[in-house]
Amino acid sequence: MMNLDEIFVTRNWVGKSVRRDEDIRLIKGEAAYVDDLDMDCAHVAFLRSVYAHARITKIDTSKAEALPGVIAVVTGPEVAKQTKPIVARAITQPAIQYVMADKKVRYVGEPLVAVAAVDRYIAEDALELIDVEYEPLPVVVEIADALKKDSPLIFEEAGSNVLLHDTLEHGNMDAAYQEADLVVKEHFRVHRYSSTPLETWAMIAKHEKGNDSFVVWANDQQPGRSTANVCNTLGIPNNRFRLIVPDSGGGFGIKLAIWPHIVILCLLAKKVDKPVKWVQTRREHLLGGSHAPDCDVEIELPMKKDGKILGLFIKDIENDGSFVHTAGIYGLIKFATMVGCYDIRATRAELLSVVTQKGPTVQNRGVGKPTMIFVLERMMDIAAKKLGLDPVEIRFRNFIQPKQMPYTTPSGEIYESGNYPECLQKALSLSGYDELKKRQIEMRKNGKYIGLGISAGIEPGTSNLGYYYTSRGVPEYMGNAEGAIVSIDYDGNVNVVMGSVDQGQGHATTISQVIADMLDIHPERVSVDSHLDSLVSPFLGHSGAYSNKFNDVDLGAVIMATKKVRDKMVRIASHVLGVETGGLQVKNGAVCSRKDEQKSVSFQEIASLAYKKILLLPEGVEPGLKEIAYYKNPMAKLPSRDDFNVQITHSNSVHVVAVEVDVETGEITFLKYVIVHDCGKQLNPGIVEGMTIGSTVHGIGAALLEEFVYDENGQPLSASFMDYMKPLAGGLPRIELAHMESPCPYTLLGTKAVGEGGAIGSVAAVANAVEDALSPFQVKVVSLPITPQKVVKAVKETKEI
Amino acid sequence: MIPSKFEYFAPASLAEAVSLLSKYQEEAKPLAGGQSLISLLKLRLASLKYLVDLAGIAELNYIREEGAGPSGTISIGALTTYAQIKESKLLQSKCPLLPQTASVVGDVQVRNRGTLGGSLAHADPAGDMPAAILALKAELKAVGPQGERWIQADDFFLGMMETALSPDEILSEIRVPVLPDHKMIYRKAARRPSDFAMVGIALCLKARDDQTCEEISIGVTGVTDKPYRAEETEKRLRGKKLEPKIIEEAASAITEGVDVMENMHASQDFRSHLARVYVSRAIAAAGIRS
Ligand SMILES: Cc1cc2nc3c(=O)[nH]c(=O)nc-3n(C[C@H](O)[C@H](O)[C@H](O)COP(=O)(O)OP(=O)(O)OC[C@H]3O[C@@H](n4cnc5c(N)ncnc54)[C@H](O)[C@@H]3O)c2cc1C
Repeated sequence: MMNLDEIFVTRNWVGKSVRRDEDIRLIKGEAAYVDDLDMDCAHVAFLRSVYAHARITKIDTSKAEALPGVIAVVTGPEVAKQTKPIVARAITQPAIQYVMADKKVRYVGEPLVAVAAVDRYIAEDALELIDVEYEPLPVVVEIADALKKDSPLIFEEAGSNVLLHDTLEHGNMDAAYQEADLVVKEHFRVHRYSSTPLETWAMIAKHEKGNDSFVVWANDQQPGRSTANVCNTLGIPNNRFRLIVPDSGGGFGIKLAIWPHIVILCLLAKKVDKPVKWVQTRREHLLGGSHAPDCDVEIELPMKKDGKILGLFIKDIENDGSFVHTAGIYGLIKFATMVGCYDIRATRAELLSVVTQKGPTVQNRGVGKPTMIFVLERMMDIAAKKLGLDPVEIRFRNFIQPKQMPYTTPSGEIYESGNYPECLQKALSLSGYDELKKRQIEMRKNGKYIGLGISAGIEPGTSNLGYYYTSRGVPEYMGNAEGAIVSIDYDGNVNVVMGSVDQGQGHATTISQVIADMLDIHPERVSVDSHLDSLVSPFLGHSGAYSNKFNDVDLGAVIMATKKVRDKMVRIASHVLGVETGGLQVKNGAVCSRKDEQKSVSFQEIASLAYKKILLLPEGVEPGLKEIAYYKNPMAKLPSRDDFNVQITHSNSVHVVAVEVDVETGEITFLKYVIVHDCGKQLNPGIVEGMTIGSTVHGIGAALLEEFVYDENGQPLSASFMDYMKPLAGGLPRIELAHMESPCPYTLLGTKAVGEGGAIGSVAAVANAVEDALSPFQVKVVSLPITPQKVVKAVKETKEI
Repeated sequence: MIPSKFEYFAPASLAEAVSLLSKYQEEAKPLAGGQSLISLLKLRLASLKYLVDLAGIAELNYIREEGAGPSGTISIGALTTYAQIKESKLLQSKCPLLPQTASVVGDVQVRNRGTLGGSLAHADPAGDMPAAILALKAELKAVGPQGERWIQADDFFLGMMETALSPDEILSEIRVPVLPDHKMIYRKAARRPSDFAMVGIALCLKARDDQTCEEISIGVTGVTDKPYRAEETEKRLRGKKLEPKIIEEAASAITEGVDVMENMHASQDFRSHLARVYVSRAIAAAGIRS
């Protein structure tokens, strides 16, 4: 943390729940999403595979091409000839996949042919005229199928359906097992779910014939990396590709890998005289718009009788579907904070990434942490039961203590600050935990089953992007950073351009609060453009919105750029006022003498010197008031298998949930939901609250409702919102939120990650509550989602959900 | 919404609508609230050459009482929306089953647009209104090129999205009896508040003060390919005292003789189980006079 006095001149805005500046525009329908851009475009529709696994023996597009209104068609095999295969980030086995299906299709929904027509209706009509002959191949859907010895291969060249298999050990696991009084073991299965932003993927690509270059407008969430990927895949120089990111309606990770579709659109654009536009339908989005992988986790806790955990073993198998770009990432991220909030000194993680015929996976909110915390926090309850300990007590006995901070986990992750025991204590008292326990006993007498669930979760932020070093040697990206440009305009107002993008997180509001306190102006005088234009925005390979990096490196860049501008204004003021810079202060939108505030020059007057009366500038000072800064988090370690931090900030929270379960119908009703959340310094508590509650609701959905279901032929059964069930307001609890603030010493403002925590902690808490409610029936929860059908079956027969 | 191409008509009268349907037959369909048909069109699960929008036909939207006393009825125009049914004071006091059922169909938007006629004509195997209509033993008026005819609710639902209507007929009115001595209950098992029923039970029950069941009719939805009357369950209760054991025995027959559906939300077993639990609970809620 920097000395805040070096950053702020006032404390009027930071820490206040300033109303989101973005909302009026969004609510009034004045946002400009890709689909709103007023351009004369051709419209694209995709023919997508109807088989999960099949060889393509024929694609005949002649009838479609002959349909009046159709302008251009590209097929998978044509695209494969013109592009490089999709770059893989983490897997070790060779697996060649192109942005469109080439010789065979590997999942239902894989793009096979793209058609551009004068309107989308004709484009869709044309799809019905395309003749594809498939030769169906045996299908691999679930992890167990993929691991069978004689399993059909999805990528023949890999020689296996396991594309990454690695074991990472830190601390002495053998000793942990030897010293243990008992080893608690369990096997969990977590289903496939995802975020489903209101705005689906959308893009427009334009080919400039003059210099054979492309301009693309797309709601890309990680433009820094996408720009590189598109250029590499197309084999074009960087300066022939310009990416513009307009307003974007929700991300949650799901828009991190839209670049393969950008590649396809560029190839189509080359064939068409005007820009080509594609807006993904909801069905396309649910089929192949990226999911979080389903996974299979074996876990072992060597422990002492008193509840102390000596070591943690996981064997984590991720069903990464069939998208080689991101396969393998989940396991690696999960491993990084596998000890959760607990002081566990030895860990072993065996990680497998498996390909199957389910749809692509990509980083989704929390990336593996919701599952890791689910597994670990379920284990705390299971171990407590085994040892006859209270679930609260076992957590207290294992928490990392505040005096141990900063705490380095066995693998090198540094938990910088936090008070985990106090966080739990606070959540217990806020929820009236003891009262609820009493009520539980009372209600059971009347045949009503209520249960209490606790979970303590870690919410890491700011990925140190070298984390997939384990598998592929020196990684292409390391550390994390972001860029910002801050300028003062003629009127003395502030304009900000970012390298990152915003999908609804309220970046502009938060940035304007920070700058307002750095320059003593009203936040209304700060305009933030959170759109990106790769030609003018200060971006890096890391640029984008993911891994909760905004509070850290994005704001770091803003602060550094603002300081540069402020320093320059002070220098000009010093010349104008004839006062040493040390004797000056920034106050009320002006620079004035500390001794005599009458001696003052406004930002506007300074700007008029910097931009217009440049002959009056002091010697050696350049005209203009625009500064660029890049900021990198100083804590990121260099890649190493022995000692590495995958993430750089660590928030934490405790969720306490009470539910009632109707054991006859399986219906689950919420009685209480309390969160105590610690994300360090809060810059805008209103925004933090919105993010935490929204995120928690997603976790509740994951625990109880949302699931991508596939049949044994790999056919997706949940490709609409009728069957892919998001939680609705009607079934949700009122979520009570309280905060602790343990500042992060390694970010400029003491902030930490916010946005994913709710989704991380809630899944486990809800599952723990359900199991507690069903304890008179000896039911154990080892899988998700917890559906009415599973509840009833477990109560009546299986004793296991 | 990216449907394939169709021609759109907006007739102002029922007669005009019928003549369009009889001209185009299978290639045309009437459009009411669009809450099912539009989804089918946009996903291209249905494609039509002609769409006959009924929205402009004012003569199909009403709720009125006909005749008084025990033989009285209430007539409802097919275009009456769920929201209108839910809000109707007349129905609330004289046929509470319909407002009760309408209030748990979908969400506010669906209820504002979806119509009673559309729901019945669509005959979704998990639709809520069909169960209520069966329990009420309603009569349905169909108007076609040959004039009008009345169809008993029991004869209306033929199978999965299949009814007794022919392609050129329009369902114009639903007539329900006024049953002052009956308790009416609709109970629905759904994953979320606005979801289709895994099981829906509509119940009309007349019981004596001594808890003897005098008259009972039960409409069941969500269980098989079409909504049906649970005749065996009704039989086991009619004339009997509504005691837990008898209710349980009767409830166990709720899916008798039907081929129970299965999908990702509920297996055959679970669905049958839910049907038993829900019918028991509905009877318990209705049968006990306080
Ligand atoms: C999000 C959502 C949730 C829903 N949830 C539920 C639910 O919980 N329970 C439930 O029961 N339903 C539910 N529905 C379906 C809804 O009830 C539909 O409104 C209803 O099935 C159709 O009524 P409509 O007026 O919208 O008919 P339309 O969609 O316009 O038409 C449906 C069919 O009926 C035919 N038709 C319509 N009117 C007539 C007529 N007068 N004569 C002859 N044929 C006619 C049409 O040609 C078409 O084939 C839901 C729908 C949505 C979109």
